[in-house]
Amino acid sequence: MDFGLSDAEQAFADEVRAFLRAHPPDTFPEDGTDAGYGSGAHSRAFTRALGERGWLSMGWPREHGGQARPMGYLLILLEELAAAGAPFGPLSGCLQVSDSIIRNGSETLQREILPLVARGQATFWQGYSEPDAGSDLLALKTRARLEGDHWVLDGRKIWSSHAGIATHGTVLARTDPASTRNRGLSMLVVDNRLPGMDVRPIKSLTGRVYHYEIFMDGVRVPRDWVLGKPGEGFGQLLKGLDTDRFWGRFYKAPFLRRILGLLVDYVNGARPGDPVARQRLAQAATEVAALHALFLRAAWLIERGMPATGEVSAAKVMADELGQRVLSMGMELLGPYGVLRGGSRWARLRGEIEHQYQTSWGHTLAGGTSEIQRTTIAVRALGLPAEPRPRG
Amino acid sequence: MDLSFSPSQQLLQQSARAFLQPRCPPERVQEWALDPRGFAADLWKEIATLGWPGLLVPTELGGSGGSVGDALALVEELGRACFPSPFIASAVVATTALAAAGGRRAHALLPALAMGERICALAVLEESGRFDPAGLTLPVVAPGRLTGRKLFVSDAHVATDVIVLGQAAAGPTALLLPMDRAGITARPLDSMTGDKLFELELADVETGPDDLLGAPGGGWALLAPACRLGALARSAEMVGAAQRVLELCVDHARVRVQGGRPIGGYQAIQHACADLFRDVESARWLVWEAAWKLESARPDADAAVAAAKAYGATACLRVARRGHQIMGAIGYSEEHPLHLFHKRILAAGLDMGDAALHLETVARAIGLA
Repeated sequence: MDFGLSDAEQAFADEVRAFLRAHPPDTFPEDGTDAGYGSGAHSRAFTRALGERGWLSMGWPREHGGQARPMGYLLILLEELAAAGAPFGPLSGCLQVSDSIIRNGSETLQREILPLVARGQATFWQGYSEPDAGSDLLALKTRARLEGDHWVLDGRKIWSSHAGIATHGTVLARTDPASTRNRGLSMLVVDNRLPGMDVRPIKSLTGRVYHYEIFMDGVRVPRDWVLGKPGEGFGQLLKGLDTDRFWGRFYKAPFLRRILGLLVDYVNGARPGDPVARQRLAQAATEVAALHALFLRAAWLIERGMPATGEVSAAKVMADELGQRVLSMGMELLGPYGVLRGGSRWARLRGEIEHQYQTSWGHTLAGGTSEIQRTTIAVRALGLPAEPRPRG
Repeated sequence: MDLSFSPSQQLLQQSARAFLQPRCPPERVQEWALDPRGFAADLWKEIATLGWPGLLVPTELGGSGGSVGDALALVEELGRACFPSPFIASAVVATTALAAAGGRRAHALLPALAMGERICALAVLEESGRFDPAGLTLPVVAPGRLTGRKLFVSDAHVATDVIVLGQAAAGPTALLLPMDRAGITARPLDSMTGDKLFELELADVETGPDDLLGAPGGGWALLAPACRLGALARSAEMVGAAQRVLELCVDHARVRVQGGRPIGGYQAIQHACADLFRDVESARWLVWEAAWKLESARPDADAAVAAAKAYGATACLRVARRGHQIMGAIGYSEEHPLHLFHKRILAAGLDMGDAALHLETVARAIGLA
């Protein structure tokens, strides 16, 4: 059993730290809201800086211009970036979509998209949820029909993160009109600039924009801009969801460690020795450590290609619920100062707790609600019988 | 990073499971629990022939010089079977302290512990219940006379020897005494957990210079690392017991039919089982991460063990308590095994420092003033 870094991995961690010291995260302009998962704000400049160092493509096979570095390096990169509070919002989407394109994308997709991703010039939104297809995703109504060399895409997606500032979406659509439920679906890669795309912002309860609603009206998508074979979209989705839940949450533990560090400093200054704060912070620290250990276990299973659905879903549930508890505790420790927005005169901790407290309420919904995760754990990992689906 | 078990650990896990499954069923655990002097004497002899009590005894003293990880892999299985024994106190904590102390008496005792012929108990706690140096008030003089009382001494009824921690002029001091030394009386404490706890009365017990374990004033320094390993072992035991609770609950939810289908097909039960899985897995890998830190002597090992113990106690108890709700009324009966695992987790969580004590270590480690 070895939880440590090899010498080469340690050298890489040092390299990332040196980069962050030389280029402090707050010097990069932000293009999109920090959604609180731990990946900071969306910053095109920072994404390009990651690309310049070859870090966006370092896990790819060499024939696609990567360095074939093992998964451990990506984990180190994410941990170091999260610990520093860097604005790497688009990174996990880039990792997931590039991985899908390498495994299941056409040559065209590989040729057109991968170089853009490597340079930090392509970022992605996910087009899964629809107004009437949330937890029951397979009730989706977005359709694409083949017309010559193009799919003609019609439908509406919602709750897509940063869709207005990303370059491409992965859109789940029904491509076989006669099909139902999980058959006949395809995962299309859609360029935001295509005619017929209308991407509209949704202001969230934080007062800022993170989600978008996307209206697609006769959007012509090249025929081979599909992940996997047409009709195999559901399989792509499942693969995507498992990795989405992992890569979209792995940095939550180092993020929460950073938040706890802020709160420890605050308590040390404002009410040193307060026994209640002391016990709550220490207890939260043990939970964050346990969350991190669970993510490492999931990572180890994923890297070996072993089933990790239960572990990943459990880690996601834990990450999101623990995040809510930690940020709620933060609000309570700050007392009346907690609600003051960043920038206001008496705000504490730069208003970060206020913002992250608000974002935390979306996390148990995004990427599959905690209820969906728990059902997934029960049915797919523990082997309990699925609830019967009502006929109709 | 390599989160796989070593071949020797896998072998230990498999052989322990195969050994305990037929020999340590819940019915026997229950018998031992209900008997005030319950002890699996037959199994203790058998595990001695398997070399378990000697796992952490150095090879030159008749043990197998195993690693921390080996011991934890075994202890997790002991927890899974709810095997009641002085294993952690004697074969983990006392053995580690004796090996660290060295000296004639320790070296004479260790081979006998490895063979399972002798069992060494620990007498640390007193009336205050504090598991720290400030809780030690028993006046210790060696040579001299010892009078006082220690509480919550596990398995004193089968121990042949006991490590007694007290306070000397030089500070906390450890003694190694045979249980049959005149003036030592063990009185059982009736605990709902089924583990055997005793009050150890020391009435004018004669001590010699040879009874000192380690240097006068060095008792806490000697015992603390051993107890840290003990805390981690207790955590692994809790994880094993909680794993078994998860299995009991999932098995029950699969076959118990209500309203025309297995209760495991209802989301209310599914989601509870999912939480059990989360708690068991997160506690388990926190224990193993701490074990790695301890074995590689990392500076944050203390805090990691403390976090594993505090989190393990909380998470595994949550598993047991939620388990009762999943299991329904049958789990409330004495003949059902659930309460045995629940109570084992409860006992393990209190032993070697409770959650509050370990949280204080974590509080200091995260920089709280």
